[in-house]
Amino acid sequence: MPEKKKSRLILFRRTVQGGMLLLLGQWSFYGVFRCPFAVPFLNCQSCPVITCSGRITSLFWGFWLSLPIIGLLFGRAFCGWGCPGGLLSQLSAKVAPFKLAGKNAFNRFAPYGKYLALLTALVLWLVLNNPRWAIPIRIGEFMNSIHLTFEHANTAWLIRSLTVLAFLAAGLIFSNLWCRIACPTGGLLELFRRPVLFSFYTTEQCNNCNACQGACDMGTRPAESNCTNCGDCQSACPRDAIQFGRPNSK
Amino acid sequence: MVTRSNSTNGQRRDFLKTAGAAMLASAVPWNQARARTSEFAGQSLQVWSCGGLAEAFMQANQLYEERTGTTISYTGAFAAALGKSLLANGRTEVFAGRVLELAQKLRSAGKMVFFNPLCFTQYVMITPKGNPAGINTIQDLARPGVKVVLAPDASPPGGAAVLKLLEKTGVKDAALANTVVQGSCVQEIMTSVIDGTGDVAVVEKRLTRIPNFQGQTEVVPLPDNQQPPPPLPFTIGMMEDAQNPDLARDYIAFILSEQGQACFEQQGFIPALSAKGQELVEKLGVKDA
Repeated sequence: MPEKKKSRLILFRRTVQGGMLLLLGQWSFYGVFRCPFAVPFLNCQSCPVITCSGRITSLFWGFWLSLPIIGLLFGRAFCGWGCPGGLLSQLSAKVAPFKLAGKNAFNRFAPYGKYLALLTALVLWLVLNNPRWAIPIRIGEFMNSIHLTFEHANTAWLIRSLTVLAFLAAGLIFSNLWCRIACPTGGLLELFRRPVLFSFYTTEQCNNCNACQGACDMGTRPAESNCTNCGDCQSACPRDAIQFGRPNSK
Repeated sequence: MVTRSNSTNGQRRDFLKTAGAAMLASAVPWNQARARTSEFAGQSLQVWSCGGLAEAFMQANQLYEERTGTTISYTGAFAAALGKSLLANGRTEVFAGRVLELAQKLRSAGKMVFFNPLCFTQYVMITPKGNPAGINTIQDLARPGVKVVLAPDASPPGGAAVLKLLEKTGVKDAALANTVVQGSCVQEIMTSVIDGTGDVAVVEKRLTRIPNFQGQTEVVPLPDNQQPPPPLPFTIGMMEDAQNPDLARDYIAFILSEQGQACFEQQGFIPALSAKGQELVEKLGVKDA
């Protein structure tokens, strides 16, 4: 892939990610640090926290309704192109010494953690009616509100939030750990990997040299488990065997 | 706006001449404070309040900031949680909490310098638009087939106060039998009634004034004798940690002035300054002894 085309793709993706950060960044931040509910982003229509942008009903419903459509069209592209948490993970991955790209039992089974997280979130939401685990700090100063939320949250909320933060922090050591093995939204979008309409895929030119896997922060190959359709792999292929389009048209 | 009938104004004048002097003993009267507003320009004041008062305080704070050039750093959250923080190591300069006992506890712990009555909450019934189940009185919650929405696990006093109200009016058992939603949050009650899942719920009137919900339900008032027992009052007080006591007093005086109190009335509360508010001050003994 020509260098110019590669840098254009990266610039385009970073621009999209920047825009999505502006749109969803605050909401994501509140979800981790200040959402009083067991599963964030699901009760925005009745959340008492005034200053969170998730209270904008159109954004709240628009987001969740658009995810399956995005999933069907582009698989986990939201993770690679739109998710603020994904952007944070990708930036952390740049310094992470361990890429977790080899073939071993951990890399084979750990990604199933996403589905466990998804199942847990669904049970909390649909069976337990997404209980409120923290005192909502309706409005307040940035650090003060976070401090108060943690101070008055119950144990379950603390476990939930500290687990997310621990996984994100671990991303500085193990590349994209949260996105790969723990994110329930990632687990949901992963379900669309097979019926996906458009994605990066390998052509018959591929000789399985795994150069793409080495270039991938998610430690995967095009159209395989955990591929977020970011396109970083395309320029790494020495045989130009990675294309974007209908995988079944190869 | 705060009620301004002749009789009310008369009562208010009488009150301000007598009990009002005590009520505002520690605060600078707002008309005097206005002449000194410039001295607070550029300063900041940290204010904490019960979360239920957030919308009213946001409005009042904006007015105060515009008038004085002061920055109000405001936090609104569950009063018991904030109170717990303040009784431990939390610090703020002005605190407006629900529950008289909390203010008294802060006073006796030496954390609060003084407090004044601020406003009172009141409960109403809400129904979906058009009131399809024909709800007129609290007894209608006991009618067979009426779908009642409750939030027994909501943060105090939300759930408990409503259950006490139902008990007080003798409809608790029948209303519980009619319950179709048992939520954990008073705001969820609003959405359950708005979307027609339930026919009726009893909520604090303030909830019907929140922008997300305003105008989306019918509001059926409840008479005074059907209101639940306390905690109905909110107080506002200056904390020991106030960096500039003059500024804190001036701010409190503004919040207790007609202009400040109007913000609270607009958000569904009974202002302490109003005739009904004064009645409740006396009845419930909301005084800094």
